[in-house]
Parts: sequence; structure tokens; C-alpha cells
Amino acid sequence: MPDAEIPPVGRRGAGRAARRAARLAPVAASVPFITRRIPLYAVLNDEGLALIEHNADTVLEEVGIDFKGDAEALALWREAGAGIDGERVHIPRGLCRSIIAAHAPAHYTQHARNPARSVVIGDDHTVFAPAYGPPFVHDLDHGRRYGTIEDFRNFVRLAYLSPWLHHSGGTVCEPVDLPVNKRHLDMVYSHMRYSDKPFMGSVTAPERAADTVAMAEILFGADWIDPATGRPRTAVTSLINANSPLVWDATMLGALKTYARANQANLITPFILAGAMAPVTAVGACTVTLAEAMAGIAFTQLVSPGAPVILGSFCSSISMKSGAPTFGTPEPSLVLFVMAALARRLGVPFRSGGALCAAKIPDAQAAYESAMTMLPACLAGTNFILHTAGWLEGGLAMGYEKFVMDADQAGMLQTLLNGVDLSPGGQAMDAIREVGPGRHFLGCAHTQAHFATAFHTSSLANNNSFEQWEAEGRQDMAQRANAQWKRMLRDYEPPPIDPATDDALLDFIARRKAAFPDSNV
Amino acid sequence: MADELDLNSLNDEELVGQMHDDLYDGLKDEIEQAVHILLGRGWQPYDVLTQALVEGMRVVGEDFRDGILFVPEVLLAANAMKAGMAILRPLLAETGAPKIGKMVIGTVKGDIHDIGKNLVAMMMEGAGFEVINIGINNAVENFLAAIAEHQPDIIGMSALLTTTMPYMKVVIDTLKEKGMRNDFIVLVGGAPLNEAFANAIGADAYCRDAAVAVETAKNLMARRQGSVQERARA
Ligand code: B12
Repeated sequence: MPDAEIPPVGRRGAGRAARRAARLAPVAASVPFITRRIPLYAVLNDEGLALIEHNADTVLEEVGIDFKGDAEALALWREAGAGIDGERVHIPRGLCRSIIAAHAPAHYTQHARNPARSVVIGDDHTVFAPAYGPPFVHDLDHGRRYGTIEDFRNFVRLAYLSPWLHHSGGTVCEPVDLPVNKRHLDMVYSHMRYSDKPFMGSVTAPERAADTVAMAEILFGADWIDPATGRPRTAVTSLINANSPLVWDATMLGALKTYARANQANLITPFILAGAMAPVTAVGACTVTLAEAMAGIAFTQLVSPGAPVILGSFCSSISMKSGAPTFGTPEPSLVLFVMAALARRLGVPFRSGGALCAAKIPDAQAAYESAMTMLPACLAGTNFILHTAGWLEGGLAMGYEKFVMDADQAGMLQTLLNGVDLSPGGQAMDAIREVGPGRHFLGCAHTQAHFATAFHTSSLANNNSFEQWEAEGRQDMAQRANAQWKRMLRDYEPPPIDPATDDALLDFIARRKAAFPDSNV
Repeated sequence: MADELDLNSLNDEELVGQMHDDLYDGLKDEIEQAVHILLGRGWQPYDVLTQALVEGMRVVGEDFRDGILFVPEVLLAANAMKAGMAILRPLLAETGAPKIGKMVIGTVKGDIHDIGKNLVAMMMEGAGFEVINIGINNAVENFLAAIAEHQPDIIGMSALLTTTMPYMKVVIDTLKEKGMRNDFIVLVGGAPLNEAFANAIGADAYCRDAAVAVETAKNLMARRQGSVQERARA
């Protein structure tokens, strides 16, 4: 944080009590989102990128892409100039790109109910969000079990408390204890009530997307419509996955249209297990990803010109010996770098990455694999990094310990992205002059002014002597993380909310729940 | 490659050995040819099936389990097996040989995940089962129609979403209502399931992967045929 205020530590301070309180309190959220100040890392030159763009256009024109079970989608495409053959849409070369260039915003603000926590998605910004979708949860005390709504709330609380997560995420775990056709109401409410960070909406049916939008409208009240545009503010970003290869299906299209028409953001993501859902090569996977993403993004703009949209790429490999998805392998990292560059050329924000792993527990495999994706995601200039915290087992489990370990790493990456401070303070010439040859820097004025924030300190890593570590119970990282998340939840206090708004939300939920019977199908 | 080799020139034992290799190498045409040769030499269809094909695929299955063979290789082997089975199946029915089994498999309504289900279908075919793969997003009506048309022994359901898993129970309950539940072995699978869930919805077994699916299907078929034979004897 090069420009953070440094609290004075002078002799006229308030003594031990004040300093202990300040140092032991959880660090306040430092920034609502990151602004990258290091260069982008590229693995392909313009010629290579242009080749993939050419191939993706060839796929759209020649092979075509299916828009299934949605007559309106086919009509919109026909009107836009595509060839329609049954449910297959053949999109002329360049058409997607021109629609996107004409309408899709390069960045957008996703508003949080606490305006200080609104995030800008796109350009040189990066936003970290928790993992999405796991049906199971895992912790050291109870092992692996199906997620419940209480687990869901806990992960919302932990993301709220983490200074390094800028976003509350979406399906932080699946609350399997609630009926399938109503659980989205409790999930969306949890994000609204237990956090004040931005969040994601339901996509499993168009009416559930509509409920999400209706609740956001209640939450934002008078601020819902932006007077500058006359349209709703963007308060929800939602995950729309392609059914690769080359299929968009009615469920996802239904949610997409609902959100786009309400000016809410769609995160258009071809989620590809290379080898099964795309060719095994990086370029092949990128070609399929780009083709599907361009068709999906252009479609959002046909539905609602100007509606915010993100190009997502989730690529993992599979074990060719079992079919099981693998994570943290190098080939998907190459895909990530290429897709980030392709999204920039298309002029839309980019989503990828995450602390992805196939490990079952927060062990060394989990850490290595996660780092292998998080670092490339950051260096590639990814704008929205879903799955930053908690992911285990290829997305099948959300880990409590893994969550706080990943959040801790996210803090490190934020500092890395902040880059190098070239200001006079950063140059530190006064310190070098003051100390001179042969002495140490610990006491000089510059160090006294900067020590507290100079180095990002992990809240979990143990750097003590062997003896001290042993005396303190030989705890490994996961055990320390276990203590940390429990402490966080114990001390958690929900952010304040206007009681009238809360009542209105609860009333909406009660009315919706009463409107139709519980169902698990 | 077996290009140069005239399968007719091999004696029975050599030919069966060659078939094991050809299955392993996924050589469909060669397997078809060899099946015809053995039948031409007066072999019982059931012996061709067990000694040549099933035994060959047992080795393939083992090496898949041990991480020696890759999925695309097993796919070719399974296709070769399937081609051999297509020749034998009508003959087996005529001779009243014990059935390996027929399976209807599909992903349930609301769910489009099919990679795992297709792997299971492939491995089941590789083990000699006849598999009718009804694809994704299947309402109970689709299962019922496939059952009526194909008279399977096994019904396989796949779900990868906690929101679609409960639909498996809808299918099982419908079978119960129609008094058909006990006519079939019901296997369920998909990463978010576990054994407790399978028990709770009244399936016969949960299979964590394709190899376990094959093992389980074989065991349950053997038990079923045993009880059928017992009943016939009683
Ligand atoms: C690939 C994938 C997709 C692909 C599917 C492509 C395809 N053609 O199948 C795409 C991108 C389309 C997709 C979409 C979605 N997905 Co998805 N997907 C996955 C992923 C990563 C891997 C699944 C897979 O193929 N595994 C490989 C195969 C080989 O393994 P398997 O399926 O488990 O099968 C084996 C066994 O289970 C068993 N088996 C399977 N079926 C059967 C059947 C029988 C009868 C038997 C005996 C055995 C058996 O044998 C198989 C072989 O060994 C999983 C996460 C995971 N790690 O499992 C998420 C996951 C299942 N998806 C998830 C979600 C949320 C979704 C979406 C809702 C996301 C969205 N917002 O768009 C959509 C839903 C679409 C829909 N309507 O179904 C969640 C579900 C969790 C939950 N909350 O319920 C998961 C866990 C990931 C996550 N954390 O988000 N997904």
C-alpha cells in the first residue's frame, strides 16, 4: 500500500493498551479493489493472437454454435445477420466482434450496498472473490460433509471479514439443507445481510434470476436507478457457463437475458476441461473458448445493448488416465495468459483463475496447485478472479482452513500487484544517507516511519525458531488456519443495515416462499 | 500392427491370444473378423464371449485401473469389444446363455453434465454390457420410455448438481409406484453423491467411478441371475 496513511508511533502515543489494540485488531479492508501497477505478462505476440481470433471466427461461421431451447435467441441472431440451421447458429466472420465493439463496456462498476466497497471490474483492476459452487464443505474438526445454509453464512462472514477479498462471491457453498426451488432466496439474502460487499446472483432458472434482481432493487431502494442513465445500477454479477463444446443452453440463456435486461452483469464463461470439452492443445482450447465467449457476449448485447459483461475462461486439463479434472497444471496457465490477452483485444473485462486444486485437504498439493493458478491469473491482468478462496477437490468442497489460507495469499498478491514505489519515500535516499556504511537500518527515521506497513505479513505463516514453534504445539499451517477462522467467526459482527430495508427483504422472501410449494426438483 | 497377419492361419489358442492383444490395441475390424473365424470353427458364442472378449477386456480394465492405459485407448478397446458383442448378442440370446446385461443410462432432468456418465457407458460396453445411452437432461418419462423400449436389467442415473440429485429419487419413486422397482438394478453416480445419499433415495448402489460401476454391475447381475435361477428351480 504505497499511499496508505502511516499512524504515528511517537512518544506521545497512548502507550501499551492503544498499541496492542491497534496491532491485534483485524486489518481493515485496505482497498475496495486492486489497481495493477506492474506490467502484463504475455505468452503470445499479436500474430499468434490474431491466428486464434481468425480460427475462432472460422469455427463460428463454419461449424456454428448451438443456442438450445430458446426460440427468441435464434430470432435475435437471425435479425443480426447470422445463418440459422435448426438450433445451430452460423455467425459470419467479424460479426460478434463488431457487435461487442459497438456496445459492450470495457469496464463497469458493480455497486455494493456500502458504496465504499463498490468494485470496478475491467481495465487495470483486479477483484478477488471466494470460490463458487461446492456441494461439500470441509474443516479439520468435522471433515467433509454436505454444505448447509449455516456454512453458507459462515463463508459470507469470512469473506466480509477478509481484507483481501473484495467480493462476497455467489454460491460459496451449496445449502443442501434447503429446498432446491427456494434456496436461492436465502443465499442472496445472506450476501445482502451478512456482508456489505458486492455479490453474485442465482442462475439455475430465469425466475430465480428475477428474484435476485427484485431483491437487489429492494436493497438499493432509491439508489436503484442511476439518474445519469435512467437504467438500474449494476448490483449483481452472475455466472453464466457455456455447455462446451459450442452449446449455449436454455437455462443459462434464460438467466442471462433476465440479468442483461435489468442491466446486471453477466460473466460469460466457457468452462472447459481440455481433452473432453475442447482439443488437448492450448491453442485449440483457446479457440473454442473464444468462439463460445464471443457468441455469448455478443448475445448479451443483442438482448440489452450496453449491459455489462465479462469474458470468462475456466480451463482445466483432465487426467487422460481417468477422466478426472486436474488443476494447477501448467497448460491451463498458458491458456489463461492467452485468453487474458484476447479479452483485452476484444475490449471487455476478463475473468479467470482462482486458488484451484484437486487436493482433498489443505495440504501441500492444495497450496502448490493453487499458487500455480493464482500467480498467472494476477500476472495476466485478470480483472475478476473467482474462486480466490476456499476451493478444494476440483470445486467439490469448500474448505474453512483453505479459505483463510487462500485469503492470506490474496493479500500477498495484492502487494505484488501494487508494484514498485518510485516516490522519494520509495527511493529511501534519506535512509541510505543517514545510515551510511557498516551500520544497520532498524533505527533510522525512514524505517521508523515505514516499518509497520513495509512488508506484507502473513497472518498464518510461522517464521519463529524451531524451538518456539515446538513449544507452541508444532502447529502446521492448516491447524493455525483452523484457529484463525474460528476466531474470525467468533468475533464477527454483521454490518449495519437499515431495518426497514431488512424487513422489506424478509417480507419479499416470505411472500415468494409462500407463493409455491417446496420442491427438490 | 496386425496388417500382415492372416488371422485364419492361427490355431484357436493363438487366435484367442491375438484377440486379447487386438482388444488391447483397439482393433475393431480385427476383432470382428476373429469372432467370425471362431464361430466358423464351431465355437459356442458364449465361449467366444468369455474366453476371447471378456478375458481380453479384463486385462484392459486392469491396466486402466493401474494407470497404464489412457482413456482414449480404452475408448478404442471398448469400441472393438462393442463390435464383437454386436455379432455375438443375437446368437447368445438364441442359445440361452447367461446374460451379461443391458443398461439404460442417462443424466437426470436439469443436468447437462455427461463426461462421467459417458465414461461409465464406455467402460460398461467394454465389459460386454449392452448400453443404451439416453443422453442428458432426462425427465422420468424418458427413462420410462427407454425402459419400455429396451427392457434393460440396469438403470443408471447420473447427476452432478445438488439441485438435480433429488430428481433421481423422483425416478425411483415412479418405478416404485408402477410396481417396477424390483425389476431393475438401479445404479447412481456423479461427484456430489455419496453412499448415504444413494441409500436414502433407494438406489441399489452408488459407484464412485466407472471401474467400480462395472464391478458393481457384474456382482449385482450375478446375484440377480442366481436368484432368477433359484426361483426357476424352486
Ligand atoms: C465439467 C463441469 C461442467 C461442464 C460439464 C460439461 C459436460 N459435458 O459434462 C459445464 C461447464 C457445462 C458445467 C456446467 C455447470 N456446472 Co459444472 N462442473 C464440471 C466439473 C468441473 C467436472 C465434472 C466432470 O466432468 N468430471 C469428470 C468426470 C469423469 O467425473 P464424474 O462426472 O464425477 O463421473 C465419474 C463418477 O462420478 C461416476 N459417475 C458419474 N455418473 C455416473 C452414473 C452412474 C450410473 C454411475 C454408476 C457412475 C457415475 O463415474 C464417473 C467416471 O469415473 C464439476 C466439478 C467436479 N470436480 O466434479 C463441476 C460442478 C459439478 N458443476 C457445478 C455447477 C454449479 C455448474 C453450473 C450450475 C455452473 C453455472 N453457473 O453455470 C452449470 C450447470 C449446467 C447444468 N444445467 O447442468 C458444481 C455443482 C455443485 C453444486 N452446487 O451442485 C460443480 C461441483 C463445480 C463447482 N464448484 O461449481 N460444469
